Amino acid sequence: MTTHVLDQLPLWVGGDLEAAEMAAVDRHMEGCPTCRAASEDLRASQAWTQEAMASPFGAADHARLRRAVMDRVVVESRPRPRSPRMRPSLLAAAAALLLASLTWALHQPRPATPVPVTGPAVPAPAPQDPKPAPPLPHPAFARVAPAPARAEPPTTPTGPTRIEFQTADPTIRIIWLAQAKPLPETESSTEKP
Amino acid sequence: MFPGTQAVLMEEGLSPLPEAPAADPLEHLVRRIRSGEVEAFEDLMARTEGRILALAWRMLGDRHLAEDAAQETYLRVFRSLNSFRLGERFEAWLIRIAVNVCCDLARKRGPAPAPVESLETLEGDAVPMGAEEAVLFHQRRTLVRQAVAALPPAERAALVLRDLEGLSTEEAARILGVRPVTVRSQAASARAKVQAFCARRMKPTPGGRP
Repeated sequence: MTTHVLDQLPLWVGGDLEAAEMAAVDRHMEGCPTCRAASEDLRASQAWTQEAMASPFGAADHARLRRAVMDRVVVESRPRPRSPRMRPSLLAAAAALLLASLTWALHQPRPATPVPVTGPAVPAPAPQDPKPAPPLPHPAFARVAPAPARAEPPTTPTGPTRIEFQTADPTIRIIWLAQAKPLPETESSTEKP
Repeated sequence: MFPGTQAVLMEEGLSPLPEAPAADPLEHLVRRIRSGEVEAFEDLMARTEGRILALAWRMLGDRHLAEDAAQETYLRVFRSLNSFRLGERFEAWLIRIAVNVCCDLARKRGPAPAPVESLETLEGDAVPMGAEEAVLFHQRRTLVRQAVAALPPAERAALVLRDLEGLSTEEAARILGVRPVTVRSQAASARAKVQAFCARRMKPTPGGRP
């Protein structure tokens, strides 16, 4: 008789031995009642384990689990409403607009300081005149055309003052015709609201 | 098959060729869920929840904890379904997640308490039996559950996957992240321990020696 195979029996009942080892254990047990009895005990224990560890859950438990999971799954699968303040697309568009504005502003010609006019004083435009002042070129390239000489300030409106600016490009000249309007004579005491 | 093709074949008296059976019967449900059909997840659960609940209970030994584990398992599955590689066996992936969830919960809980038999657990006994037989059955079941609860976690997991879930050694090794030889050794040790535990405590019965 070969030596007992008790140590190999837990592997043997699980079918975890190589084929040759399985055959050797089988051969040994044919002539060894001790090992055969031990293998029967292990097989019985294995069957009892399967019996005792059968699932205690029934259809009601399954349905409850499914309901609980599906409730959460449905909620999680809904698209979440986004806060308008946190929309990345809006933030990106605003940033791009700001960047474009800054780039455009940086590439514009610098506003020049006004060149002193060597002619007669140009009357300041009336405060209610909404006309924006034209852009001024660089002072190095600006010249002012001589204005008609006037001995004394006219009492009636005369022709417009002509101011010429020569830009950096010799083909571009800016001519500014400024027409001063006389302020209306107002008598605040007589005006009614 | 294009829509309407089958109708045309039926009008002509021909039946369409049967499509090749899918490798995984759950794969079409996975595809539907991925395409946004959330309701298909309910079908997926209906086909697998019994196994997952049983697995969780066998791993944890506690009904409520097992229900929590099963719920967490399915939520993890839903959230990471896009990472599942089509072509693999879905149920193996599902069991792997369930085992990981059970291990996490078992770690948080600490050592498993000895199972307490209650009337609730006896309600499932549908097989009619005599009084003496019922006592023996109850005694045996209690002993086996205590023996399983006393196992180290790794041996318990190996025993559950090999002997109760019916997985091969290689499948169990992949799920547990260990080598097959380790699973073999752990499962064998668990079998021997459960048998010895029961043999020491159980009265001799005519039908069995342990």
